[in-house]
Amino acid sequence: MSEVRLTINNQPVTGLSGQTILEAAQAAGVDIPVLCSHPALSAWGACRMCVVEVKGMRGLQTACTCPIADGMEVQTETTAAVDVRKFVLELLFSERNHYCMFCQMSGDCELQDAAYRYGLDHFTYPRPYQKLSVDASRKYFIMDHNRCILCTRCVRACSEIVANHTLDVRARGADSMIMADLDVPFGESSCVECGTCLQVCPTGALIDARSAYGGREKDVVHTETTCMQCSVGCALDVVTRYNRLLRVDGIWGSEPNDGLLCVDGRFAPLYEERKRVTSPLVRKDGKLVEAGWDEALSTVAARFKAGGVQGLTTCATTNEALEAFAGLFAKAKGEAGLLEPVAPVLGYGTTGKLADILDADFIVVAGAQPLDYQRVVGYFIQRAADHGATVAVIADTENSLTKRATMTVSYADADQVAKAAADAKKIVLVYSVGIKSRVIAAFRHLGDRLYTLALSPGRNERGATAAGLKHAEPNGAQTRFFLLGEQSEDQALTTKVDGAFTVVQASYLSPLVEGADVVLPTPVWYERTGHTTDYAGVVKPVAEVLPKPAAVRDDAEVLSALAAML
Amino acid sequence: MIRSTVLVSGDPISLSRGAEDTRLAIEAELAFYGLEDEVRVGYTGRVNRTDVLPVVVVYPEGIVYGPVSPETGATIVSEHLYKGRKVEHLLVSAEVASAEIDTLGVAEDTLYAQKRVVLKRAGTIDPYSIDEYIAYDGYFALGKALTSMTPGEVLDTVKSSGLQGRGGAGFPTGLKWTFVAQQPESPRYIVCNADESEPGTFKDRLIVEGDPHAVLEGMALAGYAVGASEGWIYIRGEYAMAKDILNHAITAAEELNLLGDNIMGTSFSFHVHVHAGAGAYVCGEETALLNSLEGERGIPRIRPPYPTVYGFRGKPTVVNNVETLANIAPIILNGADWFRAIGTERSPGTKVYTMLGDVALSGLVEAPMGTTLREIIGIYGGGMKGGKAFKAAQTGGSSGTIIPAELLDVPMDFASMREKGVGLGSGALLVCDEDTDIVDLAYVLVRFFKTESCGKCTPCRVGTAQMLEALDRLRKGMARRADLERLEEIATYVQQASFCGLGQAAPVPILTGLQYFRSEFESRLRD
Ligand SMILES: Cc1cc2nc3c(=O)[nH]c(=O)nc-3n(C[C@H](O)[C@H](O)[C@H](O)COP(=O)(O)O)c2cc1C
Ligand code: SF4
Ligand code: SF4
Repeated sequence: MSEVRLTINNQPVTGLSGQTILEAAQAAGVDIPVLCSHPALSAWGACRMCVVEVKGMRGLQTACTCPIADGMEVQTETTAAVDVRKFVLELLFSERNHYCMFCQMSGDCELQDAAYRYGLDHFTYPRPYQKLSVDASRKYFIMDHNRCILCTRCVRACSEIVANHTLDVRARGADSMIMADLDVPFGESSCVECGTCLQVCPTGALIDARSAYGGREKDVVHTETTCMQCSVGCALDVVTRYNRLLRVDGIWGSEPNDGLLCVDGRFAPLYEERKRVTSPLVRKDGKLVEAGWDEALSTVAARFKAGGVQGLTTCATTNEALEAFAGLFAKAKGEAGLLEPVAPVLGYGTTGKLADILDADFIVVAGAQPLDYQRVVGYFIQRAADHGATVAVIADTENSLTKRATMTVSYADADQVAKAAADAKKIVLVYSVGIKSRVIAAFRHLGDRLYTLALSPGRNERGATAAGLKHAEPNGAQTRFFLLGEQSEDQALTTKVDGAFTVVQASYLSPLVEGADVVLPTPVWYERTGHTTDYAGVVKPVAEVLPKPAAVRDDAEVLSALAAML
Repeated sequence: MIRSTVLVSGDPISLSRGAEDTRLAIEAELAFYGLEDEVRVGYTGRVNRTDVLPVVVVYPEGIVYGPVSPETGATIVSEHLYKGRKVEHLLVSAEVASAEIDTLGVAEDTLYAQKRVVLKRAGTIDPYSIDEYIAYDGYFALGKALTSMTPGEVLDTVKSSGLQGRGGAGFPTGLKWTFVAQQPESPRYIVCNADESEPGTFKDRLIVEGDPHAVLEGMALAGYAVGASEGWIYIRGEYAMAKDILNHAITAAEELNLLGDNIMGTSFSFHVHVHAGAGAYVCGEETALLNSLEGERGIPRIRPPYPTVYGFRGKPTVVNNVETLANIAPIILNGADWFRAIGTERSPGTKVYTMLGDVALSGLVEAPMGTTLREIIGIYGGGMKGGKAFKAAQTGGSSGTIIPAELLDVPMDFASMREKGVGLGSGALLVCDEDTDIVDLAYVLVRFFKTESCGKCTPCRVGTAQMLEALDRLRKGMARRADLERLEEIATYVQQASFCGLGQAAPVPILTGLQYFRSEFESRLRD
């Protein structure tokens, strides 16, 4: 990319070829107002807010679409440009209901900001007073058409970032309206509630049900952390106020997800309804009763000293906790294992990154269901499919990616996929524990062109395996220790543990907890500190967003304390 | 041995008036007299005026009957074709016929004859018969190009002919083709814009319905010149018959190896597909058209990149109007100099108009570029209806304007019109007499644009609604001077700030209306 020299408002600016005036101006700190433009989305050029004058070009140019050129002279605040911006704002304020004082976005709205900037202090045009519908058929967020300015950021986000293609515009002209699928209620549509549209909406049209009216940008606290709801490890911006969780946003430009989140990262954990374990519990006279940490830990330590212990942990905790867990059982001479199965290491290919999916021309999905369990990966694959990549799904059971796949074959026909991939330039093999050895064998010969992406069921499987832990089943030990964290155990596990003395380190009440002999409370995702290792093996910080309840202690700290008592 | 040809007008209006039955009755009557081997019956595209439809034309005499019912159709067979006597009372009246006959292909140099390049065959041949097209020089140009010209020579001929796009903007066709030919990317595509939804315009339909192969041949020549082997015709959804004719023509041409693989045994292949639109005017805008053709929502794309660089499926694409393409074969066949001899220096060739409104004769007119509006109305339109005075004409669509009486003598070509601040538009000529209310006219036109706005950009989506609202208040006598000033301001901004030609054109009726007829707007103000 070569350098381009131009002037913006008489000030010399150096940009890169291929940049638009808007990009060059932003890089140079010149603020051109926009509404339909968003850095994560393709240029649209439709709101007409960013009009500027360029010497030698007829009429006004939209800065968001006009490429820069050497010697260009741009003026961003000429009378003509400002007049058009005011006109556009006046039109938008006349089109639908923009009585800001009743809007939850007041103070944080890009439309309102622009109106203040250009001194709009009254309605210029007759207003139609049409009442449009509000769609609250989705659980986590609401669409209020009355506040929509039809910038289509949401539509573009849905199709370009999530590649889900749920949103579009209905009808045309003055009747235009954002719709889901073929105009069904949003809650009955193909919407996956990833909330990307919510995050890009410049106005109060898309409303987060939880954080609405909960605090303006100037009142809230942002904490960056790493999502631990699946093994991908997306970057999160957790928004809080007065020690209350308001909202989770994606972070544009971050690794690995570039701002994209899924319903499990953005919304679901904020709606937790299980009952929290808030203090240590010890079984006395057949009943679990509250106890102090000292009592609870010495009870556990006494059992450990008696020998015959087995520890099983979820991967869903920090690297520090997993290391302490392994250390504890080494010292206790007990067996330590993982509750979740571990995805095999293939022993060939390059370890791929999410971004590799986007420029691959052939993607194989084997033994994995990314659209259900590592959704962000699923969305990346959908995006690749939109760009023309071949997507091959190898599965013997139903797979939700099938609808976006070029080919879906059973395991028996895995060779067909390998054959189809023979001429591809870059192949990404996305797999999980379901992959079978004949599939593994089928792709070995692809060599350098093959990138592998293991999607583990365990959320921090990379951290767990680094600590030397492997998957294990409950054995005949007399004392069993479970680090369950926030995971809810499956029923098979609950029934298998009958008989032994059971210690559970958990955040929430569950059958296993209720049947345990000692229960140790553990932090939930936004209370943890430490690190996690993402799908690609990169160690990421996990930040404490909100303080833990008084009697809850950090996993690693508890495990180390126990070890010290042995 | 065929001694006569009988053509029944087969356009939708004629069909709705029973042209099908008329044709069947004629065939039955011919069979009754045992003439079926001597007289060939066919359909022809619609001809000129609508009030005489359906018409029946008998060749070689070129006699026009109309309107013809099944009964009178039978009479024409028994009297004219069997006994050899004209059926006087069914003849299209002499006054009408003088204008009508031109359309039906009499010699070119008679008094009222139009200069025909594009409409040379329309109305005289059966559009379902490729043989008739070939008999009238059809596919000769393609044969000439493929056997004796390089693609570059075809390109140069079109370039030096000075042909400008007939879709409204008047962009030099040769230049557009050169841009595409220069692109390193392939495949390249030829797209024929037959969306024709401009108010009052139906020339493209009549060209396609009357002479479909002329368009196909033009597309194939374009493909040869720029190195494209696939073409798409995007046809307005309502044009069911035109679509049928095109599909029929494509099949017929493929059967004779005039389209398809290795045309005429050469290495050049060209395939044509027909795609019907879904009724949105904005899909005539070339980038919205390409979106629609790709199955996307029909809204315009950001330009640049232009379709010549990033067109259909992201590949270099020529988008040309039907009439533009229908000019290509004659240019290749007769040469650039022949073409330049028609029309004006700066805009060679002819222009096809659809004339309607308060003229004596409405319908299709082909006249050399540079013919004045006064001549067109006087000569081809038979003057103003009822001898009323001319007030204004609207030239139709996104590039059209209101032309006042003082511009009646401006030569109608792209450059001269542009100099006067008016446009040739899509070739519609909505002629309005002295009784026309300009505010009402503006209202109707703005309402069209408001309805057809795609809604992508703010100025057009909201601005057209506000302009219409303001015009409505003015019509109802509710507006004050400040409201009129505000209207003019909105109109100016919408024109300046809209994303595509639709929004840029929407205020034009108001702006040109105010320019030439301000007092009429002012007379509607209250106190
Ligand atoms: C709103 C709008 C509608 C248009 N409709 C048509 C149309 O129906 N037919 C057409 O040929 N061109 C139409 N055009 C012009 C096309 O965008 C394009 O310029 C033309 O097809 C190019 O062909 P030409 O160079 O042969 O004229 C329209 C333009 C606009 C802005
Ligand atoms: S809902 Fe929001 S993002 Fe979507 S078009 Fe409306 S204002 Fe824009
Ligand atoms: S001017 Fe804007 S709203 Fe109007 S048709 Fe063009 S893009 Fe659509």
